This record gives sequence, C-alpha cells and structure tokens, in this order.
Amino acid sequence: MVSRDEGGTAGPPVDWPRTLHLLWRAATAEVRDVTGIADQVYGSLLALPGVEAVVGARWDDRGPLYLRRGLRGGGGVATWLPSGERWPGGSACPDTVAADAAPRVRLLDLGAAGTGYPALAGRPLGDAGARWAVECVFPLAVGDNAALWLGLARRPAAEEAEILGERLTQVAEILLAGNERILEIRAHERSRVRDAFLAEASLQMDASLDARETLHRVARLAVPAVAEGCVVHLFGDDGRLVPVATAHVAAPAQAWLTRTAQGDAWMKSVLTSAAEGREGYVLRGEDLAGGPFGPAAAGPGGTVRALSISPLRARGRVLGTLTFLYEGTDTSIGDLRMLDDLAGRAALAIDTTTLYEQRRRHVQMLQRHLLPRALPKVAGVDLSAAYHVGDTSLDVGGDFYDVVVSGDTVALVIGDVCGRGAEAAAFTALARHTLRTLLEDGVAPAAALTRLNRALTGEGASRFVTALVVRLVPADDGWDAEIAGAGHPWPLVRRAGGQVAEMPARGLLLGVVPEAHYEAARFRLAEGDALVLFTDGLTEARSQDGTQFEEQAPAAVGKFAASGEAAAAELVAAVAEFRARGDDDTAVLIARVKGSM
Amino acid sequence: MGRLLVVEDSEEDAEAIERALSRTHPLLRLEIVADGKGLVDRLLAADEVPGIILLDLNMPGLGGHSLLQTIRSRPELAEVAVVVFTSSTAPAEVDACYAAGADSYIYKPLNFELFRTVLKGAVDYWQQTRRQPPSGEGSVPPSVK
Repeated sequence: MVSRDEGGTAGPPVDWPRTLHLLWRAATAEVRDVTGIADQVYGSLLALPGVEAVVGARWDDRGPLYLRRGLRGGGGVATWLPSGERWPGGSACPDTVAADAAPRVRLLDLGAAGTGYPALAGRPLGDAGARWAVECVFPLAVGDNAALWLGLARRPAAEEAEILGERLTQVAEILLAGNERILEIRAHERSRVRDAFLAEASLQMDASLDARETLHRVARLAVPAVAEGCVVHLFGDDGRLVPVATAHVAAPAQAWLTRTAQGDAWMKSVLTSAAEGREGYVLRGEDLAGGPFGPAAAGPGGTVRALSISPLRARGRVLGTLTFLYEGTDTSIGDLRMLDDLAGRAALAIDTTTLYEQRRRHVQMLQRHLLPRALPKVAGVDLSAAYHVGDTSLDVGGDFYDVVVSGDTVALVIGDVCGRGAEAAAFTALARHTLRTLLEDGVAPAAALTRLNRALTGEGASRFVTALVVRLVPADDGWDAEIAGAGHPWPLVRRAGGQVAEMPARGLLLGVVPEAHYEAARFRLAEGDALVLFTDGLTEARSQDGTQFEEQAPAAVGKFAASGEAAAAELVAAVAEFRARGDDDTAVLIARVKGSM
Repeated sequence: MGRLLVVEDSEEDAEAIERALSRTHPLLRLEIVADGKGLVDRLLAADEVPGIILLDLNMPGLGGHSLLQTIRSRPELAEVAVVVFTSSTAPAEVDACYAAGADSYIYKPLNFELFRTVLKGAVDYWQQTRRQPPSGEGSVPPSVK
C-alpha cells in the first residue's frame, strides 16, 4: 500500500497508514460490525484534504442498490434506497469493471452542479459543492459493483489527484477483502442454515404418517426459508401429476398458486418433463417464456424470477415433483444439491407413509376376515359384538368371536390366540373356522373344543389358544345354555334384575396337550338375562394406578349389558377409557334374551 | 426502513426476534408488545401505523386469533401486513389464519439461524410488496460499503 505525507492542504494531517490499518481490522476481524465500518469508511475519506463530500454506491445488473453521501463537517451519512425516494441524479450507473479487474480510478470534471457527470453520483456530489471528483469503480463480485467518489471543490493538482486515487484504491481493496470475508461468512451461515432446515424438515416428516399432511408441513416450513412459494405434485393413479400441497408467503398468492399448480398446462408439461430427470434444475429468464411465471407473465406470477424443480424419487420410483418459486433477490438458502436432498427425504417419507397406509389397509382387511362380517339375526336374542385394537402397531390381533346358528340352536364362540402377527392370524382363522364347521354340524361345545385341540396339536401349533363355546337351545321362558371352556376367562351373566355372576367354564388351553378332554356345564338364561363373553383384554386392562378392570367388570357389565345392540360397544368403550396401560386387544360378545329387563 | 410491531408474550422469543432483525434489518424501527390488549385502539390513535405486525398466535388473554380478527375488522389497518409467526405447521391452523385475514403464516423454527432466515424472508417480502419508505438522513447503512 502506498503512503505519502500530506502537504499543502487544509485541515489536520491524516495518519493514513493508521487509518488504513484500522479500516483493515474493521473490515476483516470486525466484519460483522458493518455500521462501524461504513462510518469509518466515510469518516476516513472525508478527513482527506480537500474532500468536500464522499459518495458511495452499489449496483447490480438491475440498477442501484443504494446510494450514500457523507459531507465534510458531519451530519451523518444520507442513504437512498430503491424502495424509497427517487435517486437524486437518476439511476444511471457508471460503466462497470470486470469482476477480476483492478479498480478503475479517474478524475472527473463535474461541471456546474454535477451536470458534467450525469450518472448516479453526479447530482449528490454537485449539490455538496463539488466541481471535481476522484472516482474509483471496483467490482465486489460477478454482477455486484461498487464505486466511491471524493467530491472536490477545486481541480486538484496532478500529484494530489494521484494520491487521492491511490487512497481510494486502497480503501476499495480493503472493502473488497471485507466483502469476500462477508461472503465467506454468509456462505458458511447458509450452509449451517441449510443443515438446520433439513433437520427441521426431517422432524416435520416424522411428525405424521399422513403423506399429504407431511407434504403440507414441509411446504410450509420451506416458505420463506427457501423460497417465496412451494408446490408439491404427486403422480395420481392415472399417471398425471396432481398438486397435493402448496404454500406461499402471501395468503392471496397462495390461492393463485394452488389454481396455477392445478390447471396450468405449461407448468404440467414442465413438471412432467422434470420428473423424468434424476436431478433438479432451475428455470429462469427465457426458460419461463410462455408460462405463468416471469416478468412477461400477467398476474402474481410476474414477480417470480426463477423456478427450481426437483423430482421426488424414492426406492427407484418417481413419485412426483417439488417446485420452488423465487421472487426478490437471490438470497435463498437453497442450492440444487440441498433441494434435491430435501426432495429425496420428502419422497422417502411419502413412500414410507404410503407403504404404511397400504399395510394398515391389509391388516384391517385381514382382521375383518377373522371376525364375522355381521352377526346373524336370532329370534328372541339381541346379539352385539365389539372389537378394540389395543396395540397400534400393524400386527393383526389374535382375538376372535363368532355366532353360529344351526337349526334352532345358537352357538356363541369367543377365543384368543396367543400373540400377534401373521402366524397368530393363521391360527385364529384355523380355530374360528374349525369351530364354526363343527358347530354348524351340531357338534356340542365340549366335543368341538376337543376336536379343535386335536387339530391344533396335530398341526404342531407353536401357539396356544383359549376359547369358550356356549350353545343356546330354546326352552320355555328362555334358553338352556351349555358351556365349555378351554383356558378362557369365564363369562359373566347379568340377570334381568341386574345381578351379575360368573359362569365357570374350566378346561385346558387348546394346542398344548393332545389328549385334553373338555366337559360342559349347563345353566339357564331367562328373559332379560344377558350373557357376556369377553377376552382377557377386558379384564387385564390397567388404569394409571395399576388397578385392573377385572374388579370393575361386574359393575360395568351390570351397567351396559342391557343396552341392546350398543351393549358390547359401550362396554368396550368403557374399558378403553379406563385403560392407561396394557396393549391387549379386547373382544366382547353379548347375547341378551329378549323380554323383561 | 419502516416500522415493525411485534406482538409476542414470550420474552425469550421477543429477544430472539429483536436480535435477528437487528442483524438483518438494522434500519427497521422495532416495537415489541407482550399482548394485544388495547393494541388496536392504540394503533388507530397513532399518527403512523406499522407496515408489518408480527403476531404470535399462542398468547394468553387476547389470543393471536382474536387479535388478528380485530385488526382485520378495521379498514383503517387494511394496509398493515399481518404476519402470523407460530411453531405449528398444521395445515388446519394455516387455513384458519388465512381465512381470518393473515397476510402470511410463517413457521417459527427451532434453530436461531434458520429463524433469522425465515424472519428475514417474511420482512423482505412485505417490505418489497408494500414498498415501505426508507428512513431519513443519518441512518446507518447495512453494508460495509
């Protein structure tokens, strides 16, 4: 850096090396304190001999970004911005310097009131009384330009002009270094923000197993962190892209964006093409021609300067597209790699939730097939049944029930296969349909259990089964009941008068001892009596303090068992409300003899 | 560079907003209030209304939803951009706020740098859209140059 003594000028001498040193420190070490640096720059230059005013400007390809002026004698630095008042000297910017070129310095004759230099700085220099100016135009980055002017009241001597030019160049070099430092810091910050964004997006994706809700959440998170607008399209069953989530920073624009994403042919064509690619890309300028975006477009899309489109790909399949709309200046945290990363995570989340939903439907279908589609209508008996899934995992439960009508007899069946999952489901189907077949053929409850036990042990069953069968035969003033049990919780009978009693049904578990023998017991159900069969999910449900529902079961049966068709559902709901711990499924089957309560 | 009113009951969040905006928009004149009680009357009586109101949705007392509806019921405040700032991304919440007249619904992320980015994006958008006037002489430039 050049340093020369001041000479022949008014004002106190300037310790220029020290000034430069302080500026250098501020621009590099204290780069975040931008206020101090700007004040220092203008203050340091105004302290140079002969300088009446310092004007600074920055501009890009679209025009000035700001204009500032500091005057000798203080008064602060005035700032003009694009969103504010008109530029005092018009918006014409100086000729730029190539991004990698050295600063361009020259002496300007401003003429009267700056009219000799009609660019951005001429008028503010002239208004400050400057007739001459030393100009330094320097590039900050590609498309990012700056200039400083030292306004002088009189034409400087050649040596004086040279010194001022050198000093402006030195300041420009310091500012350039400071700017590079700022750009580095910003790049680092953007990288950290990108990481934080992807982490939060992943959290949002984990928050729901509903694919559409997940996409809505991600789109909302991305606006305006990544861009002003976001649209997610997924391929429908007909192979066409359908918008499933939109978000825009402005409420009115969101409605427009949703309509555009739904019906605009240009957008659909572009997105369909983008979905075929492996990586995302950006459309800007001429790429946007003919579509609803870009300066030539009418409506809200006119402010969109660029679009990025990333395909949503997961496990080798293309699910749709992720589109961002950019307005404003290019300060997005997103780059294509980050957007493709986001799209990949979103696609995986969608694929996972879709698979989950598919599996849930399969499990529901399988569970439905393990239970009767509808209970039969039996004259003289109100039947009700309910099933509550205690475990929210995707495994099929092993509880089952059935009602088999054979002639004028009705057989009630309830059972429970140990465990969950596909194997339990297979044994559940075997147990239920074996019993149904036997009972349809008129086989008595105890014999039916004996035959089922033999079938299960013959199959080498790896799981045990509990079951209870009650056959009802019409009798005078009610039904005769024949009950046989195999390790299953005993049923409760609610008498018409409200008393509740347990009906013993002893017997070994099914599927364990091949030669197990089962015996029946008999009791009578009078008019208004209700027989309540249930699985251990009812009795073993625990409240927060560890109390089992078993203790409350007689009272609950007394309360709900006479409720007609809703009886079983109400009893199961009471258990579900009671349950704070335990994840057993609960099946309830109730047969109430019609007549007096 | 314009005025921004923050309605935020959490001191911690208010401090974070102030810290973020002082970095990204040092020219912005910021006012922070802890609740919406009497706010609309004060705005109507003031000489100048803020260009943007940054509204926390979940506040005790007069909640963000009620305040939003009250602001939007006053045509004198039609030019004020109301930006709802909340920690929920639930679609139903977004729809409810837009139906009530919010101009933006912005998610409040956990990470401070992301928070600052989001806040900057929303403020930039509404400043550019509403073309807020710049501050006067003597203001401090936001750049080293």
